[in-house]
Amino acid sequence: MKLWNKKVAGATVLTMSLLLAACSGDDESTDTGNNDAGSDTGGDDGATEEQEQVTITYAAGVDVTGATDKLIEEFEAQNPNIDVEYREMPADTGASHDQYVTMFSSQDASIDVFDADVIWPAEFAQGQYALELDRFIEADGINMDDYFPGTVASGQFNGRQYAMPKFTDAGLLYYRTDIVETPPTTWDELMTMAAELQGEAGTEFGYLMQANQYEGMVTNAIEFIASHGGQVVDENNEVVVNSPETIAGIQTMIDIVNSDFVPSNILSFQETETNNAWVGGQAVFARNWPYMQSTSADEEASEVAGNVGFATLPEGDAGSAATLGGWMTMINRYSENQEAAWEFVKFMTGAEGQTISAVEGGRAPTIEALYEETEVQEAATLFANEQFVETLQNAVPRPVTPIYPRISDIMQVQLSRALAGEITAEEAAANMQEEMEAAMAE
Amino acid sequence: MNKRAGIGFYIFLVVFVFFVMFPFIWVFLTSIKPPGEIFNNFNWFTADPSLASYENAITNRPLFRYMWNSFVVSTLTTLIAIGFASVAAYALTRLPIRFKGVILGIILAASMFPQIAIISPIYNFVTAVGLRNSYMGLVIPYITVSLPLAIWILATFFQKIPWELEESAKLDGASPFQTFRKIIFPLAAPGVFTTGILVFIAAWNEYLFALTINTSDEWRTVPVGISFYQSQFTIPWGDISAATVLVTIPIVILVLIFQRRIVAGLTSGSVKE
Amino acid sequence: MKFQLNEKQLGYAMVAPALILVILVTLWPVAQSFYNSLFDYRLNDPSRSERFLSSNMDLERYANDYFYLSRDLEALEGQAPDPDDAAAVAEISQEFEAYHAELLEMDGLAEQYEEVEGMIASFTAIADRDLKYASVENDWAEGFKAFLDDASEQLTTISQNTENEEFSVTAGNVAGSLDSVNTAVIESNFIGFDNYQRYLTDGRMWQSMGNTMLFTIVSVFAELVLGLMIALLINRAFVGRGIVRASVLIPWAIPTAVAAMMWGFLYDGQTGIVAHYFEQFGLIDDASVLLSTGAGGMFSVIFADVWKTTPYMALLLLAGLQTIPGSLYEAAEVDGAGKMQQFWKITLPLLKSSILVALLFRTLDAFRVFDLIFVLTGGGPANATESISIYAYITLFSQSNFGAGSVLSVIVFISVAIISTLFIKFIGSDLFAGKTGR
Repeated sequence: MKLWNKKVAGATVLTMSLLLAACSGDDESTDTGNNDAGSDTGGDDGATEEQEQVTITYAAGVDVTGATDKLIEEFEAQNPNIDVEYREMPADTGASHDQYVTMFSSQDASIDVFDADVIWPAEFAQGQYALELDRFIEADGINMDDYFPGTVASGQFNGRQYAMPKFTDAGLLYYRTDIVETPPTTWDELMTMAAELQGEAGTEFGYLMQANQYEGMVTNAIEFIASHGGQVVDENNEVVVNSPETIAGIQTMIDIVNSDFVPSNILSFQETETNNAWVGGQAVFARNWPYMQSTSADEEASEVAGNVGFATLPEGDAGSAATLGGWMTMINRYSENQEAAWEFVKFMTGAEGQTISAVEGGRAPTIEALYEETEVQEAATLFANEQFVETLQNAVPRPVTPIYPRISDIMQVQLSRALAGEITAEEAAANMQEEMEAAMAE
Repeated sequence: MNKRAGIGFYIFLVVFVFFVMFPFIWVFLTSIKPPGEIFNNFNWFTADPSLASYENAITNRPLFRYMWNSFVVSTLTTLIAIGFASVAAYALTRLPIRFKGVILGIILAASMFPQIAIISPIYNFVTAVGLRNSYMGLVIPYITVSLPLAIWILATFFQKIPWELEESAKLDGASPFQTFRKIIFPLAAPGVFTTGILVFIAAWNEYLFALTINTSDEWRTVPVGISFYQSQFTIPWGDISAATVLVTIPIVILVLIFQRRIVAGLTSGSVKE
Repeated sequence: MKFQLNEKQLGYAMVAPALILVILVTLWPVAQSFYNSLFDYRLNDPSRSERFLSSNMDLERYANDYFYLSRDLEALEGQAPDPDDAAAVAEISQEFEAYHAELLEMDGLAEQYEEVEGMIASFTAIADRDLKYASVENDWAEGFKAFLDDASEQLTTISQNTENEEFSVTAGNVAGSLDSVNTAVIESNFIGFDNYQRYLTDGRMWQSMGNTMLFTIVSVFAELVLGLMIALLINRAFVGRGIVRASVLIPWAIPTAVAAMMWGFLYDGQTGIVAHYFEQFGLIDDASVLLSTGAGGMFSVIFADVWKTTPYMALLLLAGLQTIPGSLYEAAEVDGAGKMQQFWKITLPLLKSSILVALLFRTLDAFRVFDLIFVLTGGGPANATESISIYAYITLFSQSNFGAGSVLSVIVFISVAIISTLFIKFIGSDLFAGKTGR
């Protein structure tokens, strides 16, 4: 525990001294290095004519909303000397991750800027794939306090900022307003109501969630665990998963998965299945990300348009908890156009870029103040909702550790076995504790 | 061999083909349903067939470009792989070289390692020679991956061609290469075309290398392209079904053309000549 | 035609292109994987992200840390309120500088260090491994690491015991910096066969191996039987044979990645038509068991694979059937042999080498199955359908553990090699007999 703090502190000092050097050095380093990119920090005015034209490549998952195109268009208009080439990555998060690993491990410079799931920055920082952004943040005077703290923390590793929050996500409880008057506030209430109301208004199921063996199941599990006061890895990077609170959380999850009010194939449910069943009017309640608000409202494909409400997820013994999701933006450490890359990152994750993402793509901004803007409020009913903003603010991050994929894999395997009834909640917690400790010690 | 097939045989055939084709038929039926009808019912036919999914499939993504890429990559792979494999197989079965077993073993060993484990080195290799986002960047790994199968199949075919034919050609003064081109290759036509079809479709189907090596949209092949129809939380089944139907058509035509060649060849050839 | 190769030379020349390509593109990476498997090699850990047989210094990291640490140590000495502490810090500082001087005295290191420093000053990431890492003596590295551990511990104690808060914080920070330097000193991560030992006793490895075996045996056997039946069927002459051949091949022409998605759609417990009919016909109790139970998942994967790959088998065997001269059957008919007799006495023996090749390559492919399972079930539920390739993939790419992933790949390689040898031995092959045998 001491060791951890010490390391972080050491790294912070280091970063600060680095910054100092960057700011107080000769002219070249005041310009933060890279000469050929050489854009000024304002980025949008007259000085641009003499500058060399640079092209940067931006990699991000398939985007069907058009927000990415709009962001690039707007950025290029403001920065005529920078062209942005959009490289689509697979929609499947895992597949993108693996492709990035392949590329970065061969020190590929063909991508400059890339989007990263909130769970990647620590891993990519530790693997030396990503560029520290502190000197840019400092030089441009960006106030990280404007962002939701959880999203900022997800982008940090050893005290340095490696990723800028682009948009955020948190789990929500959806309910059918034509069946339910007041949504349940606790898991127990949810179970009672789901069992009672199942079958009303043509529904087949009381509740939908994600229990397939994949990353989404981990996010569901974290919500159960955190709402009962449990933790997986604590702030000192110690594994604390084997606790009565965690066991209680897992037990609630097991109870729900094995109840009669969820689909019998809940173990193969991911977000897509949840969404399909929900818009087909098959369920009374569902846990999903904010995006389902807009798919439910689409009159063409949805049978429940107009009858969908949402609330914070039910409370356990320790209140309600929603897992932090969303995406960050990072810069490839081997990028040859770091300056231009940063300009683009700054634009996308800044107020203007996030407003475009919210309006065009329906993505929740990570800058709290933006929820006051009418333009954002009008983009989606959710954004005008205080309860939603509060949920985002308090969203629980998944463990921030460079070996997160390993931690997630251990959780997926053990929880899957527990949900399938092969082992008990106690055994699952004990196994996870043991395996995670071994993994951390390696 | 059977000159006449009875009505019972045809009934069996129809039922059999129906079962084999069922998933594909269902995909086709899904592709002409309007989006709202795809889930939540098991009706075979929609009352309101629509081509909207097809329109989406070709406008949302450059599907024809993917098909062209796949076509070029698969054709090049097939031609080069068959070229290399047939000469190698000929030498291994017909010429007096040593270490045949070892060579065949080494070649076979190349397809014993999980492909996922050689992606990184191949990616580095392709990057080093500057072939990322190009046809050759895929063709080179594909040829290599298909060589073991091609050499082994062709070797079994060459093995069965009677030595007498070759001997008589030699007496007529033909060089080994001429013998190969004029006698062996045509006689082994069923093997060659079978291998050709197998290599072509294997290259057409390959996903992981194509995903990793050709990351730019204009160089993507069909399997990768189709996987890009989905976004993070939604899978547009209508569009994917339509795309699947569209990309399968050229393969069916191709097989229709080439399957005739599978029957010609050795037996008929040896009788005629 | 002045230069004439003799038959033997020509033979080697004809084999060469294929052999070179195979060795260059496939076998070389395989050899690298063998080598990787002997290291504790992880991309996401800077001290293990390279394969080092001896100790090395990550100069990029070291140079970055050295500059500040050396300055901070001096400052700390001045800050110390207690003369004992000041002396301790001074000693650490001296010893640290001594190690630094020793480092720079090593062969060619001074120039290399200077170049690295220059690149750090201009914020250029160092991609060149030869520049980034410098080989150092094992003893020296060990000594330096021991010193860093020791010094860090001392400073931590000092930081905890002192009354002066400011000094305490700085001392703690400097201790952190010392730890950071420690990670720049990289000891050899060669571990020999340790990873093999670990994975050969790993329950998950054996479970995935068992899954893979089950999948391979059942699916390849079913494909062989069905494929043979189909081959015999479409070998007959009948009207519309071309169409039937083409349509039978359709499943194989649908890319695996797409086919797997499609089967996911057909097996879905709510909306999947196949799951629905299976339930209707009483094959399964409930449409949901296909993808949400272990047995259902395994069945689904095998069924989809049989559907998809039987045509491949059929095509290979069909080509083999073509090589059987029709005259043999005619002669048999004259002798009064029945259809079954003809099949057992003529078709099967003459088809032997085709069956061997088909079986061999199908087994190789099935044992390495990846795409289908990855897309259809992802290895779940509860790892019931996880094949060894999927386990290797997760270890390699999701967890960036290249050493362990290579071990798993090598295990697949060895298993497959054993199976192939057995096949060739038992079914036998006249392939290896050549002209020399005549």
